[in-house]
Amino acid sequence: MNKKKLSFVGVVASAALVVSALLVPSANAANKTVIVWADNTRGPNLQTVLAAKSDWVPGITIKIVTFSGFDALKTAFDNATALTGPDIVVGANDWVPTGAKQGKLAPVTLSSSVRASFTSNNLGDLTYKGVLYGVPLDYNNVGMIYNSKLTGKPLTLGQMVNFYLANKTADKLTAGLCVAGGGMSFGGVSVLSALGGAPYVMTPNGSVSATADPVPAATVAANINKFLLDKKGKSNGFFPATDTGCKTAFLAGTVPYAIIGNWEWTDYAKAGFDMSTLMPVPGVNHGQYGSAFASVSGAMLTVFAAAHGVDQGAKSVLNNFFGSAAGAVAYQNVELRPPANKKAQKDASVTAAQKGFGKSGAMAGIPQIGAILNGATGGKSFWDLLPAFWTDVLVNGKDPLTSAQKLDTFFQANIAAGIPQL
Amino acid sequence: MEKLFNRKVTVTLKYLVVAFVSSLMLMLIMSSFAKREYAISGFLTIGLIAIALTYLTNYSIPMKFFLPGMLFLFAFVVGPILYTVAMSGFQYSTGNYISKPDAISRIIATGIRPDANQTTFDIIVGEDSAKNLEILASDPTNKVYFLSTATTKTDLDPTVLAVDENGDATKAPGFHPLTPDQQNAVDQKIADTRFAYSSAYFITIEGSNVASLKSQTLMYNSSTDTFTNVQTGAIYKDNGVGDYANVANKVELLQPGWRAPIWFSNYTKLFTDPQIRKPLVKVFIWTMVFASLTVLTQFALGLLVAMIMNRKLFGRRIYRSIFILPYAMPSIMSILIWGGMFDTEFGAINHLFGTHVHWFQNAMYARAAVIIVNLWLGFPYFYLICSGALQAIPAELSEAAAIDGATNRQIFRKITMPLLLQVVSPLLVASFAFNFNNFNIIYLLTGGGPSNTLGGDVAGSTDILISYTYKIAFGAGTQNLGLASAISVVIFVIIASISLYGIRRSKVLESFK
Repeated sequence: MNKKKLSFVGVVASAALVVSALLVPSANAANKTVIVWADNTRGPNLQTVLAAKSDWVPGITIKIVTFSGFDALKTAFDNATALTGPDIVVGANDWVPTGAKQGKLAPVTLSSSVRASFTSNNLGDLTYKGVLYGVPLDYNNVGMIYNSKLTGKPLTLGQMVNFYLANKTADKLTAGLCVAGGGMSFGGVSVLSALGGAPYVMTPNGSVSATADPVPAATVAANINKFLLDKKGKSNGFFPATDTGCKTAFLAGTVPYAIIGNWEWTDYAKAGFDMSTLMPVPGVNHGQYGSAFASVSGAMLTVFAAAHGVDQGAKSVLNNFFGSAAGAVAYQNVELRPPANKKAQKDASVTAAQKGFGKSGAMAGIPQIGAILNGATGGKSFWDLLPAFWTDVLVNGKDPLTSAQKLDTFFQANIAAGIPQL
Repeated sequence: MEKLFNRKVTVTLKYLVVAFVSSLMLMLIMSSFAKREYAISGFLTIGLIAIALTYLTNYSIPMKFFLPGMLFLFAFVVGPILYTVAMSGFQYSTGNYISKPDAISRIIATGIRPDANQTTFDIIVGEDSAKNLEILASDPTNKVYFLSTATTKTDLDPTVLAVDENGDATKAPGFHPLTPDQQNAVDQKIADTRFAYSSAYFITIEGSNVASLKSQTLMYNSSTDTFTNVQTGAIYKDNGVGDYANVANKVELLQPGWRAPIWFSNYTKLFTDPQIRKPLVKVFIWTMVFASLTVLTQFALGLLVAMIMNRKLFGRRIYRSIFILPYAMPSIMSILIWGGMFDTEFGAINHLFGTHVHWFQNAMYARAAVIIVNLWLGFPYFYLICSGALQAIPAELSEAAAIDGATNRQIFRKITMPLLLQVVSPLLVASFAFNFNNFNIIYLLTGGGPSNTLGGDVAGSTDILISYTYKIAFGAGTQNLGLASAISVVIFVIIASISLYGIRRSKVLESFK
């Protein structure tokens, strides 16, 4: 290389260095900012709340990073590192076991006043192996809604089935009860429960029973034969094994009863449905109800907060904003889900639908325990098993007793593997 | 115009472009180095040097054309392959995501437990007269107040304290509170400090105004690389596969674990672990059937339509446009629409035919649905290819054969088809390879299902290798990225072998010799 060329290379390299130095963002730019990751609905709502009031913690700026969806948020959090991850992540309670195992969630201790604002079940939802990882935000549950233009409030499952069979042709009904929100496992668990089964049995002191039979096969099979199958052992059409199209059909008035999620109730309210018709799925006997998961979503502390030097700031955000009644009311007035904070639940600004879902959860709610449901044995999680059960008995014509026995066996295995992790 | 593009201008432009690209790369090098991504930083540095040597000197003229492609090839093809191969040699699953030092620090952190009553104190963070970090702690319910540093605890007489309306102390002699900004500046120090309480317990800060009583239940001994539970006496030792296991009960593990090298274990599991081998074999067979059937049906329909459209027809141009529509529409949209149409209760297909077929709940029907939808999506491609190829076959050949007495079927079998296959063979191989890894159609249409989960199946009936691998890597329950990487490497080897064999058989590369 001749001298002239060498000097030119030097000039180019120097220019490049100067430009690149200008382009590199300052490492100190994000200091004392607590970064919160949230999905596409919670993120914008949190931003709205923080735009109205930002001084929840003196000297701390709360920055919300929104993801395109819940799954995208989960994927991003799974891949997060100390350099890219958030200080707080807003997610489902069943993220806690995985997040703790992955070493991404950090323990948090709430002040006694904040702890007193939540039920022990709610705090238990965000606890793994005795360690609390976040603050409960709101109930994540489903409830049953009925079309009051077609039918009245049902008292038993049998009433609902009879109504469907009697009016199927006249009202051009495509199904009786279908799952519009939460899928055939999260949404469908209340139907299993109404029929006599459950993913696990809770003891009166709020723990999971290691000995009780979660799916009493004979009872569940008899109820399936009675309510969901015809005389030939095929589905009577009352309860489809799939959730596809349910919401559209219910809104169109061709399904009288639907299980809907509390995250989507405004769609039904906008279509003119009365939110006072929300209730748990009735059981086979009057006064009994099918239990649905009534767990909370949470704002969870991550280990990255310490790496970012905002561990105390993030803990303060959890206590002063997410954990406070004022923070919960401000947020739920925008988010419109049933708040987990007991003081916020009583606030006058909470809507009928929020209270309806809260009431439904209180009447027939069971905690959603990820350590058991996510399936420690052979990858057969509750989320895969229950849809498969519906398919087997309602579509493939398999014997309900045999299928219920298999379901019971898997559930028992998951309970046995999950209890030591609680 | 000619003056505008004289040598000086083009050379200046070249240097500007090189300077701009170099700036970007330098920025990325510094950024990746700062983020401790040394492999990326190293690659970018080599790339930067290569760019400088190639475009600022005349060592190699051909390299000026090849270099950008080669850099992208290494960055987006070779790099990910090497990374996947490397990951397949690790215990890299839920519970084993982080490095060993990180895992140790996480275990130590989760080994700090609140006391049985979960006692908390309202606190103010400040400093003592010697500028040591100190907290003024209040328990207004029990009227307990004290000052605590990392080494000392001083109980305070409530009568000499200033308290607020909640009963929390606001001032104490010799205590100097920190402002919020001062607290933020020493956040890490506050987080790391264990304030004195008693011999069994210490206090940690849980935010700007809350502290809690804690004790250390798990103690780490770095010289023996073991953890000891101070309450039970249990000892946890490195089990060699990324976890600390209880010496007395080897299935009891401390969490989290770490990414540990397990060399070829993930590969041997594919053949030796029946829980992995059985579904894998089933999925592999269906993947081969799916890819073969897809290529055959798409080619057959595409060819049929092309032959029909090759004849003079009224409105041929309109038909051609219509036939290309499925190809022009975004496939994701088409798949989702088809998914809705196949729905049992509410779908158009069952409504139109007056049937009640459970398309996505029955394995046979689900597989048929996948093939049908993929046929719809893919036949226009083969129609376009076959149309061009058919028009390129000289008409004289068919005419001569007809004169010699050949029937239409004989002309097709002996002349049209062989000539056509010469052109489309590489595309058939490529299509097979594409469909072997056609994740979208499976994921969006059936999600891999239905699955006979109650019968013990792990994989779904329509799962192909790539969707099954995705489930293993990113499924809802336990994720196993190491095993998924091993399967990915196997898929890569299969696809590469089939493609190489197909290309050699079709002799398509001979023209390059």
